[in-house]
Amino acid sequence: MKVGSMFATYRKALSFVKRSYILQMSYKFEFFLRLFFMFFNILTYYFVAKLIGTAGMKYLEPYGGDYFSFVLIGIAFSGYLMVSLRGFSESVRDEQMMGTLEAMLVTPTDASAIITLSTLWSFIFASFRVLLYLVIGVLLGVSLAGANVLAALIILALTIICFSSIGILSASFIMIFKRGDPINMLFMSTSELFGGVFFPISVLPSWLQTVSHLLPITYSLNGMRHALLQGYSLGELAPEVGTLVLFSALLLPASLLAFRYAVRKAKMEGTLVHY
Amino acid sequence: MRRSSGGGIIGEAAIETCKLTKTFAAPRGLADLLRRRPSAGGVTPVDGVDLLIRKGEVFGILGPNGAGKTTLIKILCTLILPTAGRAKVNGFDLERESGRVRESIGLVTTDERSFYWRLTGRENLEFFASLHNFYSDKARDMVDDLLGVVDLKDAADVRFLNYSAGMKQRMAIARGLLNNPAVLFMDEPTRSLDPGAAQGLRDFIKEEIVRERGKTIFVSTHNLEEAEELCDRVAIFDEGKIKVIGSPNELKAALGEGSKLSDVFLHYTGKRFEERGGTEAGATAPGFRPDRRGLGRGGGGLGRRRGGV
Repeated sequence: MKVGSMFATYRKALSFVKRSYILQMSYKFEFFLRLFFMFFNILTYYFVAKLIGTAGMKYLEPYGGDYFSFVLIGIAFSGYLMVSLRGFSESVRDEQMMGTLEAMLVTPTDASAIITLSTLWSFIFASFRVLLYLVIGVLLGVSLAGANVLAALIILALTIICFSSIGILSASFIMIFKRGDPINMLFMSTSELFGGVFFPISVLPSWLQTVSHLLPITYSLNGMRHALLQGYSLGELAPEVGTLVLFSALLLPASLLAFRYAVRKAKMEGTLVHY
Repeated sequence: MRRSSGGGIIGEAAIETCKLTKTFAAPRGLADLLRRRPSAGGVTPVDGVDLLIRKGEVFGILGPNGAGKTTLIKILCTLILPTAGRAKVNGFDLERESGRVRESIGLVTTDERSFYWRLTGRENLEFFASLHNFYSDKARDMVDDLLGVVDLKDAADVRFLNYSAGMKQRMAIARGLLNNPAVLFMDEPTRSLDPGAAQGLRDFIKEEIVRERGKTIFVSTHNLEEAEELCDRVAIFDEGKIKVIGSPNELKAALGEGSKLSDVFLHYTGKRFEERGGTEAGATAPGFRPDRRGLGRGGGGLGRRRGGV
């Protein structure tokens, strides 16, 4: 990508974030309500962890042995998957419903750039939530003292690429079928159960663990927990990092091709702005 | 080269289409799609359209609702792909150079939902300017200038949701001009306006966009008076086909002295223009209906109205 083109993308990204921020802040009550109820969510798991105590030590040992630390990382970072799965398809749908999609698509900005940049605010908001989760977690006794921040950031970047690819695939279905997106349903329903969000996958029978190993979220959360809670080095995280790179290398081009196909098909059928 | 009726200079081709056709297949279910089963039926809103519109020209496409005008505009704006035929806008091929086409055009629609209602007029225009690759000071100056042109400077920092229908339409024009386009497409620009506002907008289009800026304008309308007042040439468009093209005066003269554009429409489509009675809005709403007497030149009962919708 040329420097000029990168600069243009950066400036456009700022415009999209500014637009989304103004729109979000025009519904201040909803914004603060969402933040407020996040605390209840964290507190629920804090007390569940107190109840469990050391009962799950056998399964939690690889992650430091504390259930609250384990689940805090799980719910915080699984938020990125939810944003990716819903964000892209919802931004297509929201712009279709608001009637603004057509006005954007008649500009020189590429359709994939429009959809990707429309989702930026959701990722920023998700990152803000993750930060709050971690701060509250630390206040409630979670130790991040030995965290390997660089490794965590690398895993985060790969997680976002991987999850976004799934999100773009999902948006491609929405572009064509408008509703009933199987990608979203598949990942939404399987990730929390098999991805190790609320409990280690070692709790599952071995044949169900096979499903876990097919999901990127498993490697993402595993790597993130090891990096943040136990300060694993990048070398130690190589299996998770390598698998996430592989997932990204497969999913990103596939999702971009699928989205290009979906836009072309919608233009062919004249349903670009239908919902 | 010659002067357009609005005062612009008419030059080389701005829009060229050759046998441009769009057929929408009937909706298919998932099973049909997976089996690649062809759909039965379908509609053809644009059927073999040949056009040559010169730079600086104000070209009107005149037809009833459902004639295919909007589909034709959407094809020329790259929002819908044609099924067959070719087209060039500002010298760029519609399919192979769609990005360059979009750099050359502006689209003005009546869909007021196409703006962010909770953003101000200025914020809306600055956002859309960024999609045209204009940022910061340049975008701000340009938006300021355009807000002045459409007389919305005083309301620039008011949320779009508080704008009147006329203000929203002027915002749509300002957005259409953001990239200083070579060709401006206007899809029924006065549809949602009262007669006074519609006349004001037509004057504005003639003075500011045609005379001052010399833009090529492709305007769709089902308002005969508007077509006559604004356009250098009009195409009578019905059921996806162009029935005839010419200047309003030429078309009327060809039918004989005293003919009106509504007579031209009746002659070429077999449908006659009429006023609808009933509600206040309906009383001024233009409409077309098939002429039960068949093709003919009779003007009996032809409606005359002021100022569009």
